[in-house]
Amino acid sequence: MTDSALATNPASETAASAAAPKLAVRDLHFYYSGFHALKGIDMDIPEKQVTAIIGPSGCGKSTLLRVFNRIYAIYPKLEAKGSIELDGENILDPGYSLNRLRSKVGMVFQKPVPFPMTIFENVAYGIRHHEKLSKANMEGRVEQALRSAALWDEVKDKLRQNALGLSGGQQQRLCIARAIALKPEVLLLDEPTSALDPIATSRIEQLVEELKSQFTIVIVTHNMQQAARVSDLTAFMYLGELIEFDRTERIFTKPGKKQTEDYITGRFG
Amino acid sequence: MSALYLRRRVTNAVAMTLSMLATLIGLAFLAWILWETLRQGIGALDLKLFTKVTAYGEDGGLLNSMVGSLIINFIGIAIATPIGVLAGTWLAEYADRTRLGESIRFLNDILLSAPSIVMGLFVYTIIVLPSTALTHGNTTFSGFAGGVALALIALPVIVRTTDEMLRLVPSTLREAALSLGVPQWKLTLQILIRAARSGIITGVLLALARISGETAPLLFTAFGNNYMALNPIDKMSSLPQIIYQYANDPGEAMHALAWAGAFVITMFVLLLSLASRLILFRTKVSHD
Repeated sequence: MTDSALATNPASETAASAAAPKLAVRDLHFYYSGFHALKGIDMDIPEKQVTAIIGPSGCGKSTLLRVFNRIYAIYPKLEAKGSIELDGENILDPGYSLNRLRSKVGMVFQKPVPFPMTIFENVAYGIRHHEKLSKANMEGRVEQALRSAALWDEVKDKLRQNALGLSGGQQQRLCIARAIALKPEVLLLDEPTSALDPIATSRIEQLVEELKSQFTIVIVTHNMQQAARVSDLTAFMYLGELIEFDRTERIFTKPGKKQTEDYITGRFG
Repeated sequence: MSALYLRRRVTNAVAMTLSMLATLIGLAFLAWILWETLRQGIGALDLKLFTKVTAYGEDGGLLNSMVGSLIINFIGIAIATPIGVLAGTWLAEYADRTRLGESIRFLNDILLSAPSIVMGLFVYTIIVLPSTALTHGNTTFSGFAGGVALALIALPVIVRTTDEMLRLVPSTLREAALSLGVPQWKLTLQILIRAARSGIITGVLLALARISGETAPLLFTAFGNNYMALNPIDKMSSLPQIIYQYANDPGEAMHALAWAGAFVITMFVLLLSLASRLILFRTKVSHD
C-alpha cells in the first residue's frame, strides 16, 4: 500500500486492493429513534495501523466507533443498517455473538472508568469471563497487559489496592490494559485523552504508537493535532457522512475536499 | 468598593445568617430532645435497666423490651433487605424507562408514605388472625408478625435507595463492562452492586433507624410481653411499645423508665444515622 495508490483512489477501495481490510464498512446507516446519524459510510480500515476519525461535534464519529463493537445495542431504539465485515464476517448479523465480537474488538472510553475493585482484579476481570486460567497464568497475563499499557512499573507494588486510588492518566492506562488483556484484534479508543492533562495525554499517545504493532487501532478524537501525531490514516466526517479518508499526512497537507481543508485549517468546527 | 459589590456582600451576609439560624434551630431541637430524655430518664438509667425484665414493674428494667426490639428489627430487616435490594436492582437495571418500571416505582412511593398503623392492621389480618385460628389460640400475636409489619415499612425505603444509588452509577461503567463481553447479570452483580454498595448499605441502615422507632405497627402484631421472649412465635415486648405503655401509667417511677427507654432508642437511632453518614463519607473520599 503506497501513498500514491491511496491518493489517486481515496477511501474504501484502495485499502482493499492492497490487502484485505481488517474492518470493511459498507453502506452503513445509523438511526437514533428516527434521526439519521450515519448516512451511507463506506470505509476500509487496514490491519495494524492507527486510523483516526475526526470531525466537528455531532458529526457521527463516536457513533461510528460505537457500531464497531455494537455497544450501541444496549440502548433501545437505536438501529444500524448496512454491513461491517471483520475479517470477512458481518458483525451486524444478529447471528454474530456479542461475546465473540467483544473479545475481538476492545474499547476504551472518554472518561477512565475503572471497576470498583483492585488494580489486579480490574485487568483479570475480563480475562476470567472468557478464559479459565491457572493462578500463575493469570498473574502472567495481568502483568503482560499492564506492561503493554506502560503501567506495570507504577502499580506493581500495589496490585491489591483499589483502582480508584490511581490518578486519571493511570486509570485510563489501566482501562487500556483491561481492554488489551483480552488480546483483542481491534482496539477502539473514544476520545481517550479528552479528560486528561497534557502529560498523561502524551503518555497515552506514545502508547498508541507502541500498540499498533499488535492491534488494529481506531481512535476518535476532537483534537486534530492528536490525529496528526498518532495516526496513519485519517477519516474526516461531517454531518453523518464520511467526507474524506486518506493517509494522515495527505489529509493534513493536501486534502482532496474543500470541507476537509476548511475544517483542518480551523475555518469551522 | 462599588455599590454593586457592596450589595452582593450584604445579601450574602444576610443569606448566610438566615441559613445558619435555621440550622441552629434544627440542631437546638435535637439537643433539647436528647437533654430532656436524659434529664427525665436519668433516675432510671442504671444497671438494672439493662439486666432486669419489665415483669418487676418499677423495680425492674427494660431488658426484655431491648432484646425484643433487636429481634423484631432484625426480622424486619432480614426480610426487607433481600427483597428490597433485588426489587430496586430490577427497577434500575432491567425496567428503567419502561412503563411497568415507572408504575412500580410510583406504587413503591405510595407504600413509602403509607401510615404505619395500616401496616400493623394489615399484618394483624394476614398473620395474627390466621395463626390464631390455625393453632387454636396457642400462637396469636408474635415477634415474627411484628417483624413482618416492620419489614413492610422498611421495604419501600430499601427499594427506593437501591434504585436511586444504582441509577447514580455512570452509564460508562456499564458500557465498559459490556464492552469486555461481560453479560448483564454479571455486570449487575459483580460491578454495579459493588459500585453502589455503600449507598445501598446506607439505605438499609436508614430503614433500620426508621423502623426501630415504630410503635403503631407493633401494637397489633408483637403485642408485648412482660417476660423475656426469645422465640419469634411468642408475644414480644419492644422499646417503643413499652414506652407507650409506661407513659400511660400513673406511677412516677414508670415514667422515668419510659424516659430512659426513650433515651436508649434515641441514642440507637442517632448512632445508626451517624454510622450511615460515615460509610457514605468514607466512600466519597476514596472515589476522588
